[in-house]
Amino acid sequence: MQAESLDVASEYEALLQFLYISPVGLAQITGEGEIVMMNPVSSQLLMPLSCDGGLNNLFTALQDFAPDLRHQVSSYRAPRGAVCDGLRVELGPFRRSERDPQVLSLTLLKLDSNRLMAVLHDITQQVKHERLLRQNEAWFNAIIIGVTDYALVSLDREGRVESWNESIGRVTGFDRSAVGKPYSLFYPDDCITSHRVTDRLSEADESGWSLDDGWRQRADGSRFWGTAMIAPLPLPHDGNGPAYCLIIRDITDKREANEHLRRATECDHLTGIANRRAFFEAADLEIARWQKAPRPLSLLMFDADHFKEINDRYGHPAGDSVLRHFSEMLTGAFRECDIVARIGGEEFAVLLPSTGTSGALAVANRLINAVAVQTVEIDGQRIRYTVSGGLASMAPEITGLAALMKRADQALYAAKGAGRNCVQSFG
Amino acid sequence: MEAMLKLHFADPDLYRQLEECTDTEVDEMEFGVIGFDAETIVRRYGAYESRMAGLSKDRVIGMPFFTAVAPCMNNFLVAQRFEDAAAGARPLDTVIDYVLTLRMRPVKVKLRLLVEPHRSMRYVLVNRAA
Repeated sequence: MQAESLDVASEYEALLQFLYISPVGLAQITGEGEIVMMNPVSSQLLMPLSCDGGLNNLFTALQDFAPDLRHQVSSYRAPRGAVCDGLRVELGPFRRSERDPQVLSLTLLKLDSNRLMAVLHDITQQVKHERLLRQNEAWFNAIIIGVTDYALVSLDREGRVESWNESIGRVTGFDRSAVGKPYSLFYPDDCITSHRVTDRLSEADESGWSLDDGWRQRADGSRFWGTAMIAPLPLPHDGNGPAYCLIIRDITDKREANEHLRRATECDHLTGIANRRAFFEAADLEIARWQKAPRPLSLLMFDADHFKEINDRYGHPAGDSVLRHFSEMLTGAFRECDIVARIGGEEFAVLLPSTGTSGALAVANRLINAVAVQTVEIDGQRIRYTVSGGLASMAPEITGLAALMKRADQALYAAKGAGRNCVQSFG
Repeated sequence: MEAMLKLHFADPDLYRQLEECTDTEVDEMEFGVIGFDAETIVRRYGAYESRMAGLSKDRVIGMPFFTAVAPCMNNFLVAQRFEDAAAGARPLDTVIDYVLTLRMRPVKVKLRLLVEPHRSMRYVLVNRAA
C-alpha cells in the first residue's frame, strides 16, 4: 500500500513538473475570468502586463490588449466549445525588453458553464515570419497570378506619368492628359498623400520594389481594388527617360476572396474598424517613414466619457452600441489614408499622415462636436454620449510610437481634466 | 551556536550569510531559497521552496533555472535583472511583488533577487505575501 501511494506521489510530482515546464501557458478560469489554476509560462507571459502586480483575473490582465474578451465569453452561447481559437493579442510597442513577446496567441475553450481553459503562446517570431510571407504573396499577386490585364506606366524621377500607352487607357480610362501628373492620379483623393507618393519611390529605390494593395480610381471616378508595384528602372546615360515603372492591376476578385481572412486578423471584433495589431503594424511603418523623412504626422486618441456609467445604467449591449456608433463616426470623419483603430475598451486612436497639429485639431473638434449632438437608439432608449480627445504631433525628440502615444495619452488626460467633451493637444 | 543561525527574508546582507550557510541550514529557513550559478543551473534548493512548489530537490538541482524550473520568471521583471546585473558586474538586491504558480495555483509572493559582483551564485528568495 505504502509503495503504491509513493508511486502516486511520485507520479503526481512528475505531472506537476511536466506542467511547470510546458512551453505553453495553461490556465483554468471562471466565466468571469478569475484565474483558478495556471502554470508558470502563463505567469511569465502575463506578469509583465499586470497593472496591479497581481494575477487574479485573465480578462483584467488582458483588458488593454484584448478588450473584447469578456464580451466574447459572455456572448458565447454553446454549453462547451472554442470561444476563440488562436486569437492574436497584440501587446504593442510598450515592451520593456526585447525578450518580451509582442504578440500572444490565445485560445479559450469553454468546458462547462463556469470553467474555461486558456492556452497562451508567444507567437512573436511566427508573426514576423508571416508578415514576410504576406509581402511575398502580394508580390506574387502583382507579378504572376492571374495574367489578366494590367496598366504599365512609366514614371519620371518625381513620380509623374512620363508617357501614355494603351494599357493605361484600358485599365484606368485615363487619356494622354495624364502625362506629367503624379501617379497619385490613379488613387482616390483621400487614399494617398503627396508624402506617400515620395515614400513609395524611395522604398522602391531602397528595396528594388514597392508594393501596395488598396483602392484605385479610374478617370470616371469609379473605384477598384488594385495592386500597384513600383520598380526603379536603370537610368539611361543622358539622365532622361523614365526612372520608375508602375504596374497597376485590378484584383477586386481576389480581395473579396481574402476579405474574410483580413477582417478576422486585422479588424476589431465588435466595431469592425482596425484592431490594435493592424494599428501598431501600420503606425510603426509610418513612424519609420517619418524617421527617414520627417513631415507632419499627428496622433489622436479618443476615449468615451463616463463610459462605465453608460454600461452600468443602460447595460453592456448599450455600451457596445455606443462603441459601434462612435466607430462609424470616426470612419466617416477621417480619410482613407488615416489609420482608425480601437486600441482599448473604450479607447480609439487615429494616426494622420501628412497632417500637422492645426489640421488634426480641426477634424477632431468637428468630430467631437458632431458626436455630442447625436443620439444612439437602443431598445427604444435614446442615449447621448460625448468623447474626449488628446492630440500629439511627431517631433524630433520623440523616439518612437510608444513615446508619441504617451504624449497623446497625456493630452487626453488633460482633456478629461478640463471637463471632458473636448480635445487638447500635448504641450 | 552555529546551528542556531536563523535568517529572515528581509535581513540585510543576506547574500553573504546565505553563502556561509550549509544546505541543511538553508533547509531550515522559513522562506524559499533557490540558488543558481552563472549558467543559470540550479545548485541550491531549500526545503521550504520544495514543499511550496511540490517538487523534490533531486528533480530541480542541476536543471536550468529559467527554462526548466521557473519559466514564470523568464521575462524582463526577473531574468532581465539578473542578466543586466551580470553584464554590468553590479550587485543586485531588490524585492519585487510577483505571482508564482505553486502547485498550479496563482500565489502572490515577494521575490528577493540577489547578485554579488564576481560571485557566480545568484539567489531568488520567495516569501509568501501576508
